[in-house]
Amino acid sequence: MNFLSPQGQRRLQKFKSLKRGYYSFVLMISLILLSLVAELFVNNRPLVVQYNDQIYFPTYGDILPGTIFGYDYQWETNYKKLESDFVKSQNGNWMIMPIVPFSPFENNFIEGEYPPYPPSISSKHYLGTDMAGRDILARLIYGFRIAILFSLLLLTVTYVIGVSLGAVMGYLGGTFDLVFQRIIEILSNVPILYIIMIVASIITPNFWTLALLLAAFSWMGLTWYMRTETYRENTREYVLAARAIGASNTRIMFKHILPNSVSILVTFFPFSVVSGITALTSLDYLGFGLPSPTPSWGELLQQGTSNLEYQWIAASAVAALSIVLTLVTFIGEAIREAFDPKKYSYYE
Amino acid sequence: MPNEPLLEIKNLKKYFPVKKSSLFDKRRYLMAVDDINLKIRPGETLGIVGESGCGKSTLAKTIARLYEHTSGQIFFKNTEITLLSQKQLQPLRPKIQYIFQDPYESLNPRHTVANILEEPFIIHTDLSPLERKIEVKNLLEKVGLAPDSDQKYPNEFSGGQRQRIGIARAIALKPEILICDEPVSALDVSVQSQIINLLIALQQELNIAILFIAHDLAVVKHISDRIAVMYLGKIVESATSDELFKTPRHPYTQFLLDAIPNPNPAIKRVKRRIQGELPSPIDPAPGCRFQSRCPMATDQCKSLLPELLSLSDKHSVACHHQVDSVGNWSSPWAS
Repeated sequence: MNFLSPQGQRRLQKFKSLKRGYYSFVLMISLILLSLVAELFVNNRPLVVQYNDQIYFPTYGDILPGTIFGYDYQWETNYKKLESDFVKSQNGNWMIMPIVPFSPFENNFIEGEYPPYPPSISSKHYLGTDMAGRDILARLIYGFRIAILFSLLLLTVTYVIGVSLGAVMGYLGGTFDLVFQRIIEILSNVPILYIIMIVASIITPNFWTLALLLAAFSWMGLTWYMRTETYRENTREYVLAARAIGASNTRIMFKHILPNSVSILVTFFPFSVVSGITALTSLDYLGFGLPSPTPSWGELLQQGTSNLEYQWIAASAVAALSIVLTLVTFIGEAIREAFDPKKYSYYE
Repeated sequence: MPNEPLLEIKNLKKYFPVKKSSLFDKRRYLMAVDDINLKIRPGETLGIVGESGCGKSTLAKTIARLYEHTSGQIFFKNTEITLLSQKQLQPLRPKIQYIFQDPYESLNPRHTVANILEEPFIIHTDLSPLERKIEVKNLLEKVGLAPDSDQKYPNEFSGGQRQRIGIARAIALKPEILICDEPVSALDVSVQSQIINLLIALQQELNIAILFIAHDLAVVKHISDRIAVMYLGKIVESATSDELFKTPRHPYTQFLLDAIPNPNPAIKRVKRRIQGELPSPIDPAPGCRFQSRCPMATDQCKSLLPELLSLSDKHSVACHHQVDSVGNWSSPWAS
């Protein structure tokens, strides 16, 4: 079974020909992949250190205690201090720092000044710092990584529940279908945000609990589409043919109906990503999201809007959010266009 | 035992409930298949003809247990398959196979030919992937398709080729009976005979019994040993192929035979056309089902349902007029 039917291949062609959406897609995927290895670009650990004929790669792995580099402490080496010591001593030791030499958790204080610090190339805070002296670019990038992973996790869970339940509802029909339709209608009317606020005031949500909590109240939308698609496919003769061969219900559902009905779900994919990101951001903004000091766009936005005199905080957060949401929307548009049945009615 | 029927159908009924227009309406039923008895012997071909909407396809699907029957019994080699659950039926499935009417609909558009033809082996045997591949190639060859076309998708084939794939799938596990639900009516006339000849060849090779359904008598005549004529959910006449064409007894059968186009324009024939439309099969009036269109209908026809009675061991008919006058029957059309 090929994932791409000839029709799917035509859609892919069409998608590639829609330049704006296609390049947004390429850009978005690269951004996601780059953010997964953000430690290489944004980090307070150097990429390479050469110290007394030994080469160290501190980026990944355990912390290197200060004793390795001749300091008298057991905690992680302060590489900024080490770098300036290298420069001072001039004994051939060197290190390469990432482009943004700050971790998202690091409070970098410049002597004699209070944070936030404005954007500056010399201090290497390219987008400035937030109210606590943490580098905004670093927090944006790590925040993006968390938001996108959160969104993908949320999406996976909602799709798995939504698709399988919708398929079973459409396939079995009858009482099962009727009962779950009512359950879904009830669940759809539960205000998610309030539920999460209530839960967040009782327990401190972490990445997983927050994602599962959100997923528990947002899988309903997909079931309708899946149910309808399954209903339609179920009446088609190839399903009857599979039954005549003796295929089991599971086999019919997963091997026959599902591949024929999932294509519609692809169109919702980008928009689900958007809604995941916005959900997390708004929760963080309200303070019911991931606990601090997790890097988060919502928290940055919150800082920015309550300290509008330091425009760079709000500006970077808003810009980042707008760029990502626009990219995803462009992708969504292109996918929708590529799937538009009106563009592909071939009469045989 | 050659005379032991392979498949026997007793009083089979399939009623579809009709949606009520109001809550207080009496539930009404569409009697798609109403009290049908059939016997098919091993290796034999039974043709079933009738116009659209007379319940032929429903009969076929009910026999294959694709629809659940309302009442009656179906025996396959003395096993009453109407008593089995779908799960219990599963091991018997390969023996009773089905060919669908529309080859554009009956093949999964997302599966390659290899996927489609492998499926019966995956479900019912434990052949290795390599062995399955060989079987698929053999099947393709058997139905006259290029063995290397197994990676293509159904939409890359013509209607006739698709129907060959459908046939290949049906014969994959050496069935004993093949239910062909108008296998050629969706095809071009030029392709129809190819498919029918393929079916005949496969039948002889594998000794399969065929239940062949069509609305075209000429097609059925070519392939069938016996023919049953269906009208509005009932069998009105059943006879051996030759007998039916030589001496049709039921007025409806006579109409059908008259409708066969004659390729020779020199032959003048009496043009008799059946009048009216097929009446609704929802709660049909008592009496003979054909009464509303029958030129010979009498009061008896309007009140009493004629039973299918044997005229001889090769011929039975359900018509009051025939049973009254066995032996000295004369066609109402004879001038």
